[in-house]
This record gives sequence, C-alpha cells and structure tokens, in this order.
Amino acid sequence: MAKIQKKGKKGAAANFVTRNQALKKLQISLADFRRLCILKGIYPREPRNKKKANKGSTAPTTFYYHKDIQYLLHEPVLHKFREYKAFAKKLAKVMAKGQYSTAKSLEEHNKPVYSLDHIVKERYPTFVDAVRDLDDALSMLFLFATMPVTDKINREVVEDCQRLTAEFQIYVMKSRSLRKVFFSIKGIYYQAEIKGQTVTWLVPYQFAQTIPTDVDFRVMLTFLEFYRTLVGFINFRLFSEVNLIYPPKLDLIKYEGAAGFNALILEAMHKTAPDAEAKLDTEMIEAEKEESPEDVARKAASKERLKTLGNKVAELQGSTDTDRIDEDVQDETEETAFDEFKATAPTNAAVDGDDNMVTLSQIQAASTEIQQLQNLFSRSVIFLSRETPRYALEFIIRSFGGQVSWDETVGTDAPFPENDEKITHQVCDRPTQGHRFLNRTYIQPQWVADSINSRKLVISDNYAPGRMLPPHLSPFVEAKEGDYVPSTGLEEEDETFEGETEDINPDDIEVQDDEEVDSADEEDEEEEEAKAAVAPKKVVKEDHEAELQAEAAGVAFTEYAEKKPANAKKAPKSAAGKKRTAKEIEEEEAKELASIMMSNKQKKLYTKIKYSQNKKSEEAAKLEQRKQNIAKAKTNANKRSKK
Amino acid sequence: MRERRATTGFKVAGIATGKSNGAKSSRKEPIKSVNPKQTATKPKKRAAPAQEESDDDLEDFGNVEIDINSDEEDEEIDENDAEESDNEVEEFPEDQSEGEEEDVAADENEDEDEDDDYMAGDSLDEEDWNEEAKISQRPTKLPEIEANYDSDSSTEDVENTVGNVPMEWYDDFPHIGYDIDGKRVLRPAKGDELEKFLSTMDDPDSWRSVSVDKEGKDMVLNDEELDIIRRIQGGDIPDADYNPYEPTVEWFSSKKEVMPLSAAPEPKRRFIPSKWEAKKVMKIVRAIRTGRIVPRKPATEKPRFYNLWGDEDEPREDHIMHIPAPKMKLPEHDESYNPPEEYLPTEQEIKEWKDLDPEDRPKNYLPTKYNSLRQVPAYGRFIQERFERCLDLYLAPRVRKNRLNIDPDSLIPKLPSPKDLQPFPTQQSISYEGHTGRIRCFSLDPVGLYMISGSDDQTVRLWEISTGRCLNTWTFDGVIHSIAWNPNRELCLFAVSVGHGNVTLITPPRIGSPEQISLTDEYIQQGYAAMSTAGSDDKEARNPIPWVKPNAADQEKLGYRVHLSHTQAVKQITWHRKGDYFATVAPDAKNLAVLIHQITKYQTQAPFRKLKGLVQRVMFHPTKPLFFVATQLYVRVYNLMKQELIKTLQSGVKWISSLDVHPGGDNVIVGSYDKRLCWFDLDLSARPYKTLRYHSQAIRQVTFHRRYPLFASASDDGSIQIFHGMVYNDLLQNPLIVPVKILRGHQVVNSLGVLDIEFHPTQPWIVSSGADHSLRLWT
Repeated sequence: MAKIQKKGKKGAAANFVTRNQALKKLQISLADFRRLCILKGIYPREPRNKKKANKGSTAPTTFYYHKDIQYLLHEPVLHKFREYKAFAKKLAKVMAKGQYSTAKSLEEHNKPVYSLDHIVKERYPTFVDAVRDLDDALSMLFLFATMPVTDKINREVVEDCQRLTAEFQIYVMKSRSLRKVFFSIKGIYYQAEIKGQTVTWLVPYQFAQTIPTDVDFRVMLTFLEFYRTLVGFINFRLFSEVNLIYPPKLDLIKYEGAAGFNALILEAMHKTAPDAEAKLDTEMIEAEKEESPEDVARKAASKERLKTLGNKVAELQGSTDTDRIDEDVQDETEETAFDEFKATAPTNAAVDGDDNMVTLSQIQAASTEIQQLQNLFSRSVIFLSRETPRYALEFIIRSFGGQVSWDETVGTDAPFPENDEKITHQVCDRPTQGHRFLNRTYIQPQWVADSINSRKLVISDNYAPGRMLPPHLSPFVEAKEGDYVPSTGLEEEDETFEGETEDINPDDIEVQDDEEVDSADEEDEEEEEAKAAVAPKKVVKEDHEAELQAEAAGVAFTEYAEKKPANAKKAPKSAAGKKRTAKEIEEEEAKELASIMMSNKQKKLYTKIKYSQNKKSEEAAKLEQRKQNIAKAKTNANKRSKK
Repeated sequence: MRERRATTGFKVAGIATGKSNGAKSSRKEPIKSVNPKQTATKPKKRAAPAQEESDDDLEDFGNVEIDINSDEEDEEIDENDAEESDNEVEEFPEDQSEGEEEDVAADENEDEDEDDDYMAGDSLDEEDWNEEAKISQRPTKLPEIEANYDSDSSTEDVENTVGNVPMEWYDDFPHIGYDIDGKRVLRPAKGDELEKFLSTMDDPDSWRSVSVDKEGKDMVLNDEELDIIRRIQGGDIPDADYNPYEPTVEWFSSKKEVMPLSAAPEPKRRFIPSKWEAKKVMKIVRAIRTGRIVPRKPATEKPRFYNLWGDEDEPREDHIMHIPAPKMKLPEHDESYNPPEEYLPTEQEIKEWKDLDPEDRPKNYLPTKYNSLRQVPAYGRFIQERFERCLDLYLAPRVRKNRLNIDPDSLIPKLPSPKDLQPFPTQQSISYEGHTGRIRCFSLDPVGLYMISGSDDQTVRLWEISTGRCLNTWTFDGVIHSIAWNPNRELCLFAVSVGHGNVTLITPPRIGSPEQISLTDEYIQQGYAAMSTAGSDDKEARNPIPWVKPNAADQEKLGYRVHLSHTQAVKQITWHRKGDYFATVAPDAKNLAVLIHQITKYQTQAPFRKLKGLVQRVMFHPTKPLFFVATQLYVRVYNLMKQELIKTLQSGVKWISSLDVHPGGDNVIVGSYDKRLCWFDLDLSARPYKTLRYHSQAIRQVTFHRRYPLFASASDDGSIQIFHGMVYNDLLQNPLIVPVKILRGHQVVNSLGVLDIEFHPTQPWIVSSGADHSLRLWT
C-alpha cells in the first residue's frame, strides 16, 4: 500500500506561506521584510486554490512562494540589516553617553555597509535580462533626477540619478539606438532598442516636482537604491560596448554652466594620445594628493589643473571624438550588414528556397531602414530656441545623427551660435519670431518627434511656428483589425497636397452655391453625393482615403457605405444594421442555430468574447462618429465664412 | 557599650561580604544601626521585627550577639577581613564627625534597648514588656508582634488547620475546616443581606473590616494596616519608614583615611609601566615600521561599478513559479499633448470621469489638447503614478492568466447545413382565422385533412387544413382544455375536454366516409352493450366516473357520442394508437389524476392507486404496452400489462411541461417551464442524452413528427424551433440533433406565446396555435 499522504506536506499548502509566517520565519520586522522584497524582487503570489494554501481558511491573506522566503534566509543583506540594527544600538548608547569621539570612530570603522551587486546578478543572470527590465528603473531615475532635495531625498541620491541618466543618454546617443519619441501629457516617452530589447521610459517635463504627501518615499527610495545599482552596472557594460571608459569624468565648470551631456568627459577605451596623457596626468595628480594631503594650496592647484585638463579633453573630443565615434558606429553597422549577407548567402545557395530569399531581402530592408532612421537628422543642423525643451530635443536630435546647438541663455558650451550659416532648421515654440533667417526652416518641436515616428523628415510647412499643428499620434499603438485608426499627420499632409489640386473642384461647386444662395441644403447634399460617387472613378485610392473624402464632402457614412458595396462588410454592424443582404441574414441565422448546440461553457466564453468585441467596435464607432461630426462642423464653418 | 556595638556592626559587615544570602539579610540590620545618622533618624521599632527574624534564623549562632568578639566567629569570616577588622575595630567610632556627638547620647539610650533586644529571645521577661510599652508610645506603629518565638498569641482562638487550600471547597459544608485536634470548625452564623446591611450601618468599623474566609468572619483592620493599604494603592513603598534615598557611604574613596580600610602598602606594580602593554605597543610599532599597518589610511575605494556580467552567463531556466513583472502600458493616442480632436472628451464625459472613484476610472488621465508643446504643464500625478507602479511591483500578487486569443466563431460547432436536411417547415402558409380566445389545443386527424381546435372562447372549430375553411363549430359552456383526434384511420372520432372535467367524444357530422361512420357507430354501440350487460354493482365498482349517453338531438345534430364527467378539470387527453383506449389527465384529482378509458367497453380504469407528484402529461408507447407519466421532475415508464414500473427518467429540470415519444419508441423529448429541452435515449440512460437551452421563455409543447426525422418545441417567447432529430437503427450511433429553423410569427400576449404545436401526420408541415388567437400552418 502506498504511504498515506499527510495533509499540508505537499502541493499548495507546502508551496505557499502567508506574509506573517514569512516574517516569523525570517524573524525580521515588516519594514525590513518589505525592503528585502523590493531589493530581491520577491512578489506575492495568488495560489490557484486559496483555501488549500491557507489551511482551509478563506480569509484574505498575502501569499509568498515558500522557496522565495527560504532563499531569503541566507541573504547577506538580511544579515547586514541585523548588523546595522546592532550598530545603531551601539551608536545610540555612545551618543547618549556623550562620547562623541567613540561615536565617530564607531561610525568610521564599524558601520556595516551592504552592496546590492550580488542581487543584481542574481535577479538578472545575463545582461539581456537586465536590459529587458530597464523600463521601470529608467523612469524612476529620470523622475528622481528632477526631484528637489528634501529631508527625505538626499542631494547625493538626486545627483547620482542625474549622472546615471546622463550616462545612459550618452550611450543611446552614441549607439543611436533611440527609435520612438512621444510627447504625452504626462511627459516624454522614449523607446530605444538595446541588445534587441525595446526599452521604453518616461521623462517628466522640466518642471519642479511638487512632493505629494500621500506617497511613502521609503518604498520609492528602496526601489531607487536598487535601480541605481542596476543602471550603474548596465551603464558600465554599455559604455564598454561602445569602447568608452566608465565612469566618465564630470567637468564641473560645464556642469555648473548647464552644459548637459557635454559636462561628462568621454574617454575611449583604446587610448589615443591625448587621452593617455590625460589619464597619466590624473594619476600623477592623485599620487600627489596621496603623498601630501596636508598641502591645501597644492591640492587646489591640482584640482584646477584637472578642471582645465577636462576642458581641453572635452574640446578635443568635441572636435574629433564625437565624429570619430559616430564614424565608428556607422562602420560597424555597415560591417554587420555585410556580415549578415555573407552568413546567409551560403545557406541560400544550399537550400535555394524562395522563402529564404524573401527573408534575406526582408532582413536587408529592415537593416537599411534602421540605418536610415539612425541617420535621419544627419544632414540637419538644428538650432534650438530658448523656449524649447533643450535637454530633451538635444538628446533626441543627437540620437539620430543631427548636429544641435542652443541659445546661450539655456546653457553654456553651445557648439555654434544662432547666426551660423550651416543651420538648416530652427526649432521654436512661439507664434512669432523676431528675426527670421531666410536660409533655414522654422519648425515646432513636434516636427522632430513626428519625423522620427514616421521614419522620414516630414514636410515642415505644417509645423511652422504659429500654425495649427497636425495631431501628434502615439507611435506605440499598433492598429489591429477593427480598431479605430485616427488620421495621422502624414496622411493629412498627403491629403493637403492632393487637396491643392482637388481644391479647385469644391471651390467651383461652392462658387455655384454662391450663385444660388437660397438653394436648400438637400440639393447641396445631393450634389456632393454625386461628386462623391464620381470621385472613386477619377482616382483609385484606398478605401480609407475615399471615406475621408466622402466625409469631407459631407456624405453620411451609411449612404456612402451603400454606394460602395465593397465597403459594406467593413462597416460596423450598428451602421449597417437596417439593411442586410439575404445571404447575411442566412449566415446570421445559421450562427444562431448552431449556437444552440454549444455547451454551456462554450456559450459563456462566446458571449464574453462577443461582448468585448462589441465594446471595442462601439468605441471605434463612437470615435468615427465624432470625427465625422467635427469634420461636418468644420466644413459648415468654412462655408459660412466664405458666404 | 559603644565600642561593642561598633564592633558588632563591622563584624557583621565582614560576614555579609563573605556569606550566603541568608546570613546577609539577617545581619544587615545591625549595619544600619551602626551608622549614627541612621540610628538617629530611624525609629526603634523597625529594628524589632528584624531582630526577631535574625534571632530565628541564627539559632545556630545563638551566641553571636554576645560573643561577637570571639575567635570562633572570626574563623568563619574571611581571614583578610578578620585581620583588618581587628585593626579597625578600635578606631572606627572615632570616624564619626564631631557634629554628631549630640546624637550620641540619645543613641546610647536606644542602643541599650537594641542590645537588650538582642539579649532577649529566650523568654519574655520584664524588659521585654518594658520594651513593648516603649514601642507603643512611639508615634508610628506597626502591628504589635511579640518578639518571642514561643509567644503564641493565637492560643485563645480556634485555629483552622486546612492550610492554603481554596476555601470554596468548603462552600457546601457546614464547617470551614478543622482545628488542631481534628475537630470541625463550624461556620459562624451569617445573617441574610438585610442583617448584614444593618450590621454595617450599626458598626462604625464596618468600612475597615475585611472578611476572612478561613475564619468565616470579618476582621477589623487597624490604622497601620490601613496605612499600608493606602501606600500600596498610591504606588509607594508600603513601609512608611523606609527611606529609599539614603546617602551612600563611600567606603573606598580617594580620600586618605586616618583609619584606612586596608593598611597594606601600595604594591610595586602600581608604580611601574605594564610590560605586556609595552609588548603589545611594540608589536604595533614594528608593524607600522615595516609597513604592515598604515595608520589613517583612507579605505581603498573599490570601483562602484564593474563588469558584472560575463560572456558565458547562462540565462535562467524558465521556471513555472517565476513570473516576470508585466511591463508598463504603452501610451495611446489620447495621451498625446496634441491628440486628434475626436479623442477629446465631451463635458459630460469629463463630469462622469470626475465623479468616478480614482480606482474605477478606466484611464487615469483626461485627454487634453494643447496648441503647442510650450503650453503643456507639469503632470500633477507623476510621482503618485510612479509610486503606484512601485506598489504594484512588490505588493500585487502576480498570477499567470491565459488569454484566449481565438476567433469566437470557431467556438460554434460545425453542423450539417440545414439545406441538406430538408424538408422542414420554413414559412407560414395559412392562418386559420375565427377564434376569439387563446387557442390552447388543437388536433389533426390521422389522415391530415381536417383539424379541430379548442379555444378559450368556449368553441371548438373544425377546419379543413388545405384551405383554411372552418367547417363546423361547437359551442360549449367552458374553456376547452384539450382535444385529441382518434388515431385510428378507420374511425372518425375525437375527444374534447371542456370546463370542469367534462370529456365528450364527438363524431363530427358530414365529414367521415360512410364506412368510418358505421364503424364508429359500431364501436360506440359495442360499448353500450358491454355496459348494459354488466351488473349495476359491478359497473359502480369498475367505473370511477360515469359514462353518460347524450340525448338524441345532440347525437344527431352535433355528433356527441358519450359524455364522461371527471371530478376535476381534464388537462390532457391522449389516445392509444389503436384508438380503443384513451387516457385523461386531471392533475388535481389526486389518485384519479390519470384515468384510462376504453370505448368498446365503456370502461374506466385508474391504473395508479397512488401517484407521486403532480402529473403533467401522460403518453402511450407507440408499439409496446408501455405508459409514460411525466410528473414535475420525473418521467416514469410503466408496463401496463405487467403493472410495474420499468424506468424513471430523471430530467434534471424543475418543472416538466410537455412530453413526446419518438415514433420508434426508444427516444423521448421533454420540455420544461425552465426553458430546457431534454432528449432521452431510453436505451442509453435514465438521464438526458442532451439538454438544450435556447428558448428565452418557458417551453409549452414539444412534438415529434410521425414520419420525418423532425421534432419541434414551442415556447412562450413566441417562437417555434424546428430540429432535425435523426435516430439511427444502429445502437452504437447516437441520435443526431441539428437545429434547422426558428419560426417566428406568433405574438406574445400576456407573456404567453405559442401554446400548442403539432406536425402534420404525412407532410413536413407544422401547425401552431398561440395566445394571440391565431392558428397557423407552417410549410
């Protein structure tokens, strides 16, 4: 006979522990446990059967995976927490006695310090894993980089965040891995592609953050502690991958002059002459420091030297380094493209399949597309007016190979002044300009983002200062079947271009309208209908565009759908509900009949799916309807103004 | 005297340091008395009990206080101390400050007493009495205690010897314990509550009396005891005289005493530096010189970041319990600072959004349009949202959810196309107009030419099916509940149930062929003959209900043949296939609910002596002598020949409304008021082979076609559902059920839709009657 199973030894009962059980087992306070959970990335679970996991009780409880807690038992950080507690007691005792010197030495020698390195490695065994989880870390760091220093938030923390984010942005610029940019009401979303992983982060607009009272900063700071470590290690790796020395040195003068990324001095790993010298020099200085720590004057001098040296290096790099590194990147990409071709060619020869040919061409097309995107602004020299968000735009433009400069008032170290001849674009964000240079295009910041998202330089006329901007759409939305697709800026652009030629027709009609001012609206509509009917014959276009035209002409959607039987199927049910073909009715009925034979479970699932589908399509229809209304209102307004 | 006392004190101190606790405690008191200040402040009587105790404890050292200087005692003490003490004994009194000299006189007095106390102990002598008298004169008093250990103050009292046991053990006894002789100590008489109250009123000391369980009576507390209680309540030390803040006596101080405690010369080691320390220091010095130790070396700073990941790192294996955190949701179009205008919410939507709880909002922002990037303000909830994300990451339980990404149409089962399963009725062809009430029942003649229908307008109409012409009308004085045409093609007869239990057999005039008429007449006559031959008693016994011959006029004119009057309303009439028997159901008639009538014998039988449940429908088996009885929950199958129950079909529905048996006899369909239709395969199981739920209202009637593989159900939702229900001869193959058509046309009146349906006996047609007074033919 098999051994009788004891209750609670296997399955859910053994797999999960409640939070209180975990606390008891680890013998730590709840606050410490939370910190550990955050650092170690331990999260509660939802057992499939709560009753089984909780000894028959159904009371609401938090469950943790038993092994997670088991691993926590021998976590070094946990021991450090305990040591720290003991240390704090000692320190308090000494302080209470007034033995300040003892306290100082205690603080110096006995303070337990813990590092999170092993946790980073443990949570992300490979570099790619770490990059995959970078989203939250970056958003958090970018937030804290803009935080004011308070009693809860240290200056060191904020500065560290600023530094880490700047370093990361430098990598993105160097590797040109930025892919998408989106100006939202919450902040600016960026998406980069690093090691084949898409990394998305959100940066708040450059305003002073108001500290809310309902936020527990202990939790956020614990997260931040881990994220700082993580991003630091990632930055190190990323820098070494583009042959840069990490950490880059900070040029204090430039930093104080708000030079942004330029305040960080980049040094290539393979030492060129100036770099090597610089390194040597710094080492010497350091050695000097060590030898004569009491010599303050000398120290100051060395510091000064270091600063000036940094400037020199920066200058040197400013002229040569960036270009050189950019070239490197380009070379690399070219090389990789070539390699790919080589690698795939023999397999092609062996297999001789059409599919492979297709994939090869696809790969090539994709790689060239990305290369084009990376060099999107390579021929643009862009100047940022002082009212534009300088750091964001500088980062964006430089990530796509553009040269960028800014007004002296927003930061020192601008590469070229406003009146430079080579400037092709000037980004400005006010309706009028004082002095306009004729040889450059004035655009609003949205042009930059829209160009990137559409992967080509969009026509800048729509983005001229003071003009009503075309809608800025999210590049992260992938339209699925049945979803509502708003008209992008690009489409409208095309439309406007076509519109210029087409404009003649409606104008003519409107002129006729003007002649018979009293003519009833119905006639008007009829005419437009006629026009809409003629339109498809003239130009073969995609349905959508045709629809748009019809809309512009003021034809009701249902009427339009009737006229175009091809569109009948696409039309939402609600719109086409009145008149259905016999075949459709039959199909409908067949479905209804067949649904009788579904099992209960299937029926429920079916209704659920249908419900969500209907909801979605209703939403889309609502948007569509609104759009039509807006278009109608606009045309009416136009007419009225013309009359 | 003084000298002696001082010696005593010191000696005892010496002992106290070297001795066990017992000795310590016992001898501390004398030390206190030694200090002149203390003795000055300290009242005498406090020492008394302590002395008594010490006397008791130190029985072995009975001589201590007397021979305190003796060598025996010294031997017990540490040798060092003994020596030193001997030296200091003489000197000690001089240690007292001059200012205290005044006290000395008084002290002496007291000391005398004290010493007397010490001497005492063997017996009560005069001095003791004097002592007591003195004590009583002093301002603060403790309870009087005789210092002698054999002074037994309790001799006069009966002492309870039960010991420390809970006194409630004696609650049920008249006594409260036993005295020293083992005799019962009886419980003192206790008055009732009133007496107690009065006694408390009378007794001025009642407020300070406490009941003592052991003695069973009250004890009056004296002032000292009350004082102790008050102090305990106040959180003070119970002893009023105890001073917790006595000045410390610095025995070992930096002051050079004239009479030092120890006269030992200062040892040499106090004057020379430590050799071992020097060695230790030298070790460090040497280490520093050789460079092994660098003083004040700044901690070597390790680089904060390094290459953490190697190239040969192996990714973590996927584990089922590892659930990576879901990524943040990517922004949609409406989050743009400049969204397309159709995304902007209307005023009403904004209001709705604001009225919702922040947790319930579908999106945590309101789409807003700004004309330029410059105008976009800071997002107020940025930090909160980040914080919420943090909370989600470490507090939200993660669970893997499988999202079904399937086409809903793939869930619909693939069925043979209805077109391949034709013929079946698809549309309405004829409507039979005439009735003015809801048509509860109708029946088609076995050939399929005529139809009779009974309605709530108390008429029965005869229709020609193919033309829709009303051939005849009978008017009754009650609602027509049920109507059924005799299935025998050779007869022309139908039964109709009217009002409160009247069932009439009618031969419609001018319809049947002469052969049919004559044969029907023969049938009826046969019955009369049988009835008349039987004895009257016999008849009574045989027929639970009377068979009555209608009058000649009615016979001639309306075609009435026989009247049967039931006790309750007959809700259903169903014929046996041969046309000789028919069964009636009157659900309220208790044991006569189901009756089987035989025409040829004019005989009525009640086959069931007792019926379980309310009978809804009955049915004859088409080929075998089986009888189906449908109650609310079950369908029971009886063999009429053997008179036994064969099977009980458990439908699983709540209230069966209708029943039909497949012409093959092996399959049964049951409709229910809870919208379900059950198909039973009698060979398969007593539970339904298939239960279908598709009507939105109660099912009123189900029926099989006699020839075609069709069955149908009618419901209160006004629709008729036609199914293709193929039964195969092969026992291994399950019946095929395919819905083929939904016929809609009947109006729903007072939440009643289609009330009855019946297939045409030969054609694939169906007739339906409804609450909307219509009778329709669907072809």
